Amino acid sequence: MKIEVNQVNKYFQKNIVLDHITLTIDSGKIFCLLGASGSGKTTLLRIIMGAIPIDNGEVLIGGKKVPDRQLLALIGFMPQNDALYEELSAWDNLKFFAGLQKLSRTQFLKNAKEVLEVVGLTEDKNKLIRNYSGGMKKRISLAVALIHQPKLLLLDEPTVGVDPVLRKKIWNYLKKLKESGTTIVVTTHVMDEALECDAAALLRNGHIIASDTVINLMNSTPNGKLDELFFMDDSSGQEEELC
Amino acid sequence: MLSILIRILSQMKNDRRTLVLLLFAPLLILTLLYFILGDSNYVPKIAVYDMDDSYTKLLDDNADVLVTEEKPEVNEYLENNNADAFLWKDAEGIHIALLKKNSKSGVAIKAIQETNQAMQSMQAKLIISYVFETNEDNQLDSLSFVFLGVLSFFFVFILSGMAFVRERFAQTLERMLMTPISRFEVIGGYTLGYGILSAFQSTFIILFAVYVLKLHVEGSILLCILVMILMAFSAVSIGALVSIFANNEFQLVQFIPIILIPQIFYSGLIPLETIPFGLGKLCYLTPIYYGCKSLEKIIVEGKGLGEIMPWVIGSVAYIGILFVINVFSLKKYRRL
Repeated sequence: MKIEVNQVNKYFQKNIVLDHITLTIDSGKIFCLLGASGSGKTTLLRIIMGAIPIDNGEVLIGGKKVPDRQLLALIGFMPQNDALYEELSAWDNLKFFAGLQKLSRTQFLKNAKEVLEVVGLTEDKNKLIRNYSGGMKKRISLAVALIHQPKLLLLDEPTVGVDPVLRKKIWNYLKKLKESGTTIVVTTHVMDEALECDAAALLRNGHIIASDTVINLMNSTPNGKLDELFFMDDSSGQEEELC
Repeated sequence: MLSILIRILSQMKNDRRTLVLLLFAPLLILTLLYFILGDSNYVPKIAVYDMDDSYTKLLDDNADVLVTEEKPEVNEYLENNNADAFLWKDAEGIHIALLKKNSKSGVAIKAIQETNQAMQSMQAKLIISYVFETNEDNQLDSLSFVFLGVLSFFFVFILSGMAFVRERFAQTLERMLMTPISRFEVIGGYTLGYGILSAFQSTFIILFAVYVLKLHVEGSILLCILVMILMAFSAVSIGALVSIFANNEFQLVQFIPIILIPQIFYSGLIPLETIPFGLGKLCYLTPIYYGCKSLEKIIVEGKGLGEIMPWVIGSVAYIGILFVINVFSLKKYRRL
């Protein structure tokens, strides 16, 4: 599912959070939104799926204008905080969200088994979420986003608080999903994560300062490190002075 | 819709303390009220002047009698001697002077009336006067319908309101709305889920009141339960509506007095006809009015379904209107 973001402006009260964002995310790719906290990553992700209204511009997913209720059946969203029901078991959480997506019983059982395996929580599936650790919550939250096999995955900082072994496993699974045609958008502030992606956009203060394939981005820096891109920008000088 | 309903019920199942509080807290308060408003063994203090000896003797069985030899200044006497009533007779009949209307003066009047009944010969007219005129009604016993209504309304309102605010805070609401589910289904699932829970609660309360506290219900208990369930559904809807406009739990708590206290005014505690400037008409805006009015008709007057129909219809209409408003208000969180 190709995502097109055209000239999107977003204000919170009088402050501009996203300033003329234009972005194209190709179908079947892993795309990374890279930026410090407060740069507008999460807002952009929410705008893409149509959770919050925009002040200007438009977002198209697969040619359809957002927001669109039918489109939501194809989107899997994992928010930054866990957004799970604490008083329910992991299994009941999965079942609830599968129910909202109107999955059949057999389809649910099959998908649930698969996603639980990926996030390594098969054995803990009957525990209540309130007894889960932070990392486990993160993982089950990812499983919830995957339960209806979405065509487009929007993941807000999916691997924060996940140990390196499992992180690797999750990335491998995301790549597998990509192979099967799923488009994945990931936000992160960790540069290393961006290396796992096909393309990336760098956000700062509501502006896109660079957007290209990861390889091209790396080649455009003097030492091949993505971090450099943030310092090559003009406005970085001011920020350093502030420090 | 079914998913939401099942989820709410299993959430409650796993959250035992909330469930226990939901069911037992109203019972606790109701029991307390029962004892506070129930028959006490209070013996009224009645001062008498110039009454027959036989009468005084009989009155002594029901009250603590003080005989005065000369007629004092009544108001002063009542205030200074801590007596509940002062009794004397003249050509007009028997005069009873009381300080003010309250449950103590009620007991005093009752004692005097009983004595009069026992003395068949006493055909004199009773002339009751109060030193301080207040409007307080002295029929708290017959106000059980108010407490039944207010109690169940209060707990259900908090439950559903909080649930919604918490869902917003944990951002599960956003996640829920980022699926193809319609707003109608969300509100429907919510109303049904919490409605069923509160239906249990209402049934529990009324059965407890009738069978344990021996509340006298003139009409059908089943009808009472039906009315209580309707009221519970409107409480769920109001809770949901308020929570959509509350940004956090604290604000919701602040909404409680705004929403709840006017409801208590219009629940039948104060006779609506006595409210000035036509403000009594505002009762049609409070869902509790429809419920308590029906309960009053069933519990006190023993009316059947036919006679309470207007209020039942009012209740159902109220739930329907709130439902539509809620479906629209949810647009605040998703435009579709």
